[in-house]
Amino acid sequence: MPQPIQFLPPKQDVLSRRATIIDDLRGLLPADCVIHEARELVPFETDAFISYRRMPLAVVLPRTTSQVAAVMKYCHRYGIPVVPRGAGTSLSGGAIPQEDAVVLGLSRMSRIIEIDYANRTATVQAGVTNLSISEAVAVDGFFYAPDPSSQLACTIGGNIGMNSGGAHCLKYGVTTNNLLGVKLVLVDGQVIELGGKHLDAAGYDLLGLVCGSEGQLGIVTEATVRLIAKPEGARPVLFGFSTSEEAGACVADIIAAGIIPVAIEFMDKPAIEICEAFAKAGYPLDVGALLIVEVEGSEAEMDATLENIVEIARRHQVMTVRECQSATEAALIWKGRKSAFGATGRIADYICMDGTVPLGKLSYVLKKTSEIIDRFGLRVANVFHAGDGNMHPLILFNANDPEEAMKAEEAGNEILKLCVDAGGCLTGEHGVGIEKRDLMRHQYTPAELSQQMAVRAAFDEGWILNPSKVFPLEGRG
Amino acid sequence: MQTSFTPEQLEDPHVAESEKILRRCVHCGFCTATCPTYVTLGNELDSPRGRIYLIKDMLENGRAADEEVATHIDRCLSCLSCVTTCPSGVDYMHLVDHARVHIENTYRRPLIDRLIRSLLAAVLPYPARFRTALTLAKFGRPFAPLLKQVKALRPLAAMLYLAPQSAPVRQETVMRGAQPIRGIRRGRVAILSGCAQSVLDPGINSATIRLLARFGIEVILPEGEGCCGALVHHMGREEEALDFARRNVDVWTREIDNKSLDAIIITASGCGTTIKDYGHMLRLDPAYAEKAARVSALASDITEYLSTLDLPRQEQRRLNVAYHSACSMQHGQKITLAPKLLLKNAGFTVRDPAEGHLCCGSAGTYNILQPDISAELKARKVKNIEATKPDVIATGNIGCMTQIGSGTAIPIVHTVELLDWAYGGEKPAKLTFAKEPAKH
Amino acid sequence: MLIPNTEADAAYVIRNAAADRKPLAICGNNTRGFSRANQPAEPISSRGLTGIVDYDPAEMVMTVRSGTPVSEVETALAANRQMMAFEPMDHRGILATKGEPTIGGVFAANVSGPRRFTAGAARDSLLGLRFVNGRGEIIRAGGRVMKNVTGLDLTKLLAGSRGTLGFITEVTFRVLPVPPAVETVVISSLDDEMAAKAMAAAVALPVEISGAAHLPASVRSRFINGRLPDGEATVLRLEGLGPSIEVRAQKLAAVMEAFGPVATLGMERSLTLWREIRNVVPYADGTEKPLWRVSVAPSAGYHLVSALRLEAGIDAFYDWQGGLVWMRMEADPEAELVRRYIRALGGGHATLIRASEAAHAEIPTFEPLPDAIAALSARVKEKLDPAGIFCSGKMGG
Repeated sequence: MPQPIQFLPPKQDVLSRRATIIDDLRGLLPADCVIHEARELVPFETDAFISYRRMPLAVVLPRTTSQVAAVMKYCHRYGIPVVPRGAGTSLSGGAIPQEDAVVLGLSRMSRIIEIDYANRTATVQAGVTNLSISEAVAVDGFFYAPDPSSQLACTIGGNIGMNSGGAHCLKYGVTTNNLLGVKLVLVDGQVIELGGKHLDAAGYDLLGLVCGSEGQLGIVTEATVRLIAKPEGARPVLFGFSTSEEAGACVADIIAAGIIPVAIEFMDKPAIEICEAFAKAGYPLDVGALLIVEVEGSEAEMDATLENIVEIARRHQVMTVRECQSATEAALIWKGRKSAFGATGRIADYICMDGTVPLGKLSYVLKKTSEIIDRFGLRVANVFHAGDGNMHPLILFNANDPEEAMKAEEAGNEILKLCVDAGGCLTGEHGVGIEKRDLMRHQYTPAELSQQMAVRAAFDEGWILNPSKVFPLEGRG
Repeated sequence: MQTSFTPEQLEDPHVAESEKILRRCVHCGFCTATCPTYVTLGNELDSPRGRIYLIKDMLENGRAADEEVATHIDRCLSCLSCVTTCPSGVDYMHLVDHARVHIENTYRRPLIDRLIRSLLAAVLPYPARFRTALTLAKFGRPFAPLLKQVKALRPLAAMLYLAPQSAPVRQETVMRGAQPIRGIRRGRVAILSGCAQSVLDPGINSATIRLLARFGIEVILPEGEGCCGALVHHMGREEEALDFARRNVDVWTREIDNKSLDAIIITASGCGTTIKDYGHMLRLDPAYAEKAARVSALASDITEYLSTLDLPRQEQRRLNVAYHSACSMQHGQKITLAPKLLLKNAGFTVRDPAEGHLCCGSAGTYNILQPDISAELKARKVKNIEATKPDVIATGNIGCMTQIGSGTAIPIVHTVELLDWAYGGEKPAKLTFAKEPAKH
Repeated sequence: MLIPNTEADAAYVIRNAAADRKPLAICGNNTRGFSRANQPAEPISSRGLTGIVDYDPAEMVMTVRSGTPVSEVETALAANRQMMAFEPMDHRGILATKGEPTIGGVFAANVSGPRRFTAGAARDSLLGLRFVNGRGEIIRAGGRVMKNVTGLDLTKLLAGSRGTLGFITEVTFRVLPVPPAVETVVISSLDDEMAAKAMAAAVALPVEISGAAHLPASVRSRFINGRLPDGEATVLRLEGLGPSIEVRAQKLAAVMEAFGPVATLGMERSLTLWREIRNVVPYADGTEKPLWRVSVAPSAGYHLVSALRLEAGIDAFYDWQGGLVWMRMEADPEAELVRRYIRALGGGHATLIRASEAAHAEIPTFEPLPDAIAALSARVKEKLDPAGIFCSGKMGG
């Protein structure tokens, strides 16, 4: 029987000074910015990775960078761990606190500071939601490209922490490719600015390092991101196949043909049923697997690209091809896809994997995944970004059955190891968090982990920032 | 998500139901984004996910409600925006209903809070008392700024501010019983007279009756019905709410048994949401469960019912209508397209304000009990509506009309008033007095 | 010069150097001029580590040893109608250097070309790498898949670190299909300011511009044998499928006509033009005149140039929608002035690509960093190279 994931043991000296710490924090911030009553702390004990929960010492909700800096300076001085939190939508437990930690919530820093069309940039506070950037510029024909499924709720700060991707990253890249600058509060409260409206770094690419660092290098309070002109049109098309293997092979062939659609999303039968139940998007229910392929550009361009894709799909015995007829229909198709994880809650609890594999290995990994799941006597729904090999098997289980919950975790670990062994990685866009921390040793050698931790130490020698995450607890030196 | 209730706890059908609801939540956090209080306050405790967690913790531990829990649950508008957003289908409405009852039963509020709530519960559902109160409010209004200074008394100030300066004291009284129709009878419906709306704006139901009569629908106003119970229901006063519900169920059942009804028409979507829920509210009452379910099944918003009548397309009239979808309409009853299609079909140009999913802050007695948050939401709503440069605002709920109307100079009317006008009725009085619509 | 033939050899050599605290100057074939050491150091070149390790055109991913010539990589890609989307420039023209640029050098210096402002820099295509750190340990970073957020992104850190953090032995990067058709829309006779406005308007259109440069009159004749239309040339590149390029070019031209006379170049001239822009052909002049490469916000580029013109003799042209400014100084590099104006215009950075030895000795090649960031960078370097043996260039202390 595997053991549940461990957190760092709480620092006793911090716990014993709890009352003082709360008093001090209330001195640093307005009263309504510090949450400390036990009852009120409970809702902060976890994020969207609800298998694990820890009560925090306190929660602070600052409104300005200088308030964030004041909190960091204080916590650094007294060695109090800090766990940053955006909207708490992490699927890897990136925002789960620990008993001796102050949760630093950025939800109140939710202002769009500047939209600069001449330079195609938006500068926003870290607590701004991903979608609200695109919404703010849509009327002028622009959008912000990375679109994680939780884009309605997740914050840009969290996106930077996890280097979030999304369905449309196949063409436009992930967060790191669309991020131009940040305002970063360092562990000791110093505020620095990395990047800006210009391209590339003057020195080391610290911006690239911070992006995806899971809140371990500093607290991002502001970000400047790249805006892109919206294409003339975009059209998602549904391709139904009899088996997952056929669909997977079709994806590989589309890419091999040099066609790069904006998005290629995959759903297997259970996932189709789940999503259709919520979104009523008209997904075909009589197929074994579904691809949502989105093309964009002018009508002629879309037609030309689609023609090529349809031809490839026919070689894989495509059962149905359905082009959507209206913007409303397109929106529903995406709504269904983007709600897939949540909608799974209708039928079971789940944990969501995030391994990425080379495209040529998609079919193989899908097959192996179902073997693993069968062996554990569990069920799985697959819904993921096929175009870039980023898989999301949703392992279904009953959270009120502890034995089954552990089985699900175990099966998940095997699937992730499979992804690494197939030449991929543990996580494509959700981050390591607490969930995959102990699997890091499967992907990296001790020297490699030490090197990463050493670089981490250049920012946070004392393991103050989100300390239980990313790196295995043993061998931290 | 995981829950931990003992088998004994689950013997309580209310707890059992809440447990089932909680199991559906996967804590994905999508609901936070569309929650009006979360976007206003930025604190997860004032979001659906935070409240679900607070409720879970309270119920699992079988604990009495305390000040913290009450504070955050009280701040919930019950707008149900989260229910629309939730991919996993968490029935937040019944969960928060249960929590409100639990709070009412186990938590002793501060004296002033209790007094204000009792006052509201004793006045608002009763048209005669409410009318008197409005008259008195005119005299009380000069004291409002003074009351506003004291935090605990702010709800009183809010009440005085909300009371219309000139309450339409008893105009256009509609006679009880069946109303005359024109032409061949195509249907027979009952209409809810209800409580506050009949005092604040009796013109809405008059317009409804005229409009329906014109299309051959016989409308009856049965004796004995009254407040639907929503006002007290949202304060957690369950027994009072159920009493209101039983009384209305009795009245309508009599009509159904007598001559049968095609529908029970409701012109205030806030009431509609509750009446459609009678079946659930009374499910544990063997004497009423079945009757209540029948009533709920017949309950229909006026726009839902009108959509079934296939009204003729009318000529374009150059009038921009900003349609404000009440939360009880779009989230509570999931009626989103019907009102707009009716208006378009009737010749109006319909505009959709931005952030249409956000509540205007009215939410029953919310604008009285939570005046600060309510005021912020009102300002945000009015800004979004005014940005569409409308000639008139249309909505389907009296609460929203009062709330939004107190924040803008643009006339606000009930959707059905515009429809009545478009199909041969009088131009709504509010439009007659407003400036002439701009030519486009 | 040390020329290890295997990664293990490189690790061994570096381990020994670290033990002896013997400085090493990491280089490829020294075509980019960034290997000027700030102390006496033994050169260590990647040129012994050559060959394509893995290339699966179907997956659009290539793994190559770092000393492999760029030309070899490009040939292999071209055979499959693929390319490096970031179109790395060749520095040999402006620096008058000899030899074959290496692929390791491309990533070590994060070298990109005109497509950078839409398709990303070299670092954005780089999926993973192997390097030897200053302890002589072999470290893998990233991987070979497009999406990867497993641990700290050391790949980004190494890209552009110019041999100061580690000796890169192997790189894995994403490639893209070569667009079958290319067209360039030229708007003539715009001054720098109007050109910036025209370029901003163009990239806001749904036509997917993949290159936006402004070539003032002083440089215009140096491109495609002087065949650009008369006057200043503001050039906009479109790439994609033939028929769609035609349509997009028409749409673009229709909007751009409001700015000035519009012409198109056709595919062949377009290919030449953008290669020449990439390689900064006007300043491949065989001189030692100081040459700056400045990255600022696109709307700031022409402000910088017009401000400097009042105080110094300069010639300049713009890429990246105006945000990349190539500036050749007539005499003095005017480093103080250049860098002061950049700060005043909202920030960015200026790299002194070319100058006399004397000027190089005096002027920091790279933009000096604010204290806090400099300190952080020094700490980062210390973690990768604790003995401080990788001294080439002047980055990170």
